[in-house]
Amino acid sequence: MKEQSDKLRTACKDFEEDLVLYYYEDGSENERIRVEGHLQTCPSCREFLEDLRKLLPQMAKPSELPAAFWDNYYDEMIQKLAAYKERRAWWKNWFVPMRTWMVPAFGTAVVAALAIGLVIGRGHWHYPFSQTQAQIPQEILSDTNQLEFFKSMDMLETLSSLEGQDGTKVQPGNNQHG
Amino acid sequence: MNQTAQRDLRDEEIVALCQQGQREVFEVLVRKYMEKAFRIAFDFTHDTEEAKDLSQEAFLRAFSRIKQFDGRSSFYTWFYRLVVNICLDHTRRKGRVIWERLEKEKEGTAETVELADGSSLPDEEAIAGEAKRRADQTLEAMPNKQRTAFLLRNHQGLSIPDIAKVMKTTEGTVRVYLHRAVAALRQSLMEFV
Repeated sequence: MKEQSDKLRTACKDFEEDLVLYYYEDGSENERIRVEGHLQTCPSCREFLEDLRKLLPQMAKPSELPAAFWDNYYDEMIQKLAAYKERRAWWKNWFVPMRTWMVPAFGTAVVAALAIGLVIGRGHWHYPFSQTQAQIPQEILSDTNQLEFFKSMDMLETLSSLEGQDGTKVQPGNNQHG
Repeated sequence: MNQTAQRDLRDEEIVALCQQGQREVFEVLVRKYMEKAFRIAFDFTHDTEEAKDLSQEAFLRAFSRIKQFDGRSSFYTWFYRLVVNICLDHTRRKGRVIWERLEKEKEGTAETVELADGSSLPDEEAIAGEAKRRADQTLEAMPNKQRTAFLLRNHQGLSIPDIAKVMKTTEGTVRVYLHRAVAALRQSLMEFV
């Protein structure tokens, strides 16, 4: 392992990424000029680039496949496409005629159902808040009676205040005056 | 339209015809891209049958979604993205299986090389095979994005801007992925240089 790491030549850190792009001819013109200038003076980077040139093309080398493989591949693909088209056509044939008459038919059916519902249901529907007194629970009714009592008390208070304003209220000390 | 005339059409014209309902011209795109699609899938799977199935699935997906192609990118960028995504999904699902297979291959190779010492198998061939397996293992061990960037650049010859479009990322990020992938491969393959 040590032997391997000793063998590994390192490129200058600032140039390593640029060297990879240079190998693939992907850098900009300025980057290319900069890398080429550096390569003239740096043996480590030259060796790094040389390693890339040896290693990377080997990896990309495709394994040869016979022409029969590609013929078979193409035929199989065409069959799959045909099967897909057929499946899709089946669904399409099923839905297309429906699509032409379904929308107006569905709309008419909804309107008719609403009209029939309104005619038949007329007079049978109850407004949810129109409950008779008999349906109101007893506890609420007793609270209502108390409410009537408080209303009468308010009326008495109002009467006494009116009397006060008119000065007609008989004061206990004024009995002797008459 | 006869077959020769169809073959002369540009990708965008073929796609436009497909979108107008002439779906049979899609076969021209199959003929044109089947090898590249298969190679990408093979780089991810290292299995001929799987690569065939995945790349054909990509064609079917492209065919079914052809109306969604809006022409903002080139057809091949759009199609490559489909292939790569299908392969990445497959790799995620099959990750463990692939590792197990590579481990088995590694064990098998050790035996083969030992046998090869006294047999007719040339040393160079054995070394090349071992280097290939080591490269495959290093690629398998890489993060998906690094591997994808490397495979698209090194094996498929896509440009960095195109890879950025396929991977939906920036060109700067692709450069970083590519550099890291190459550095890792160089590190693992140094003894074969």
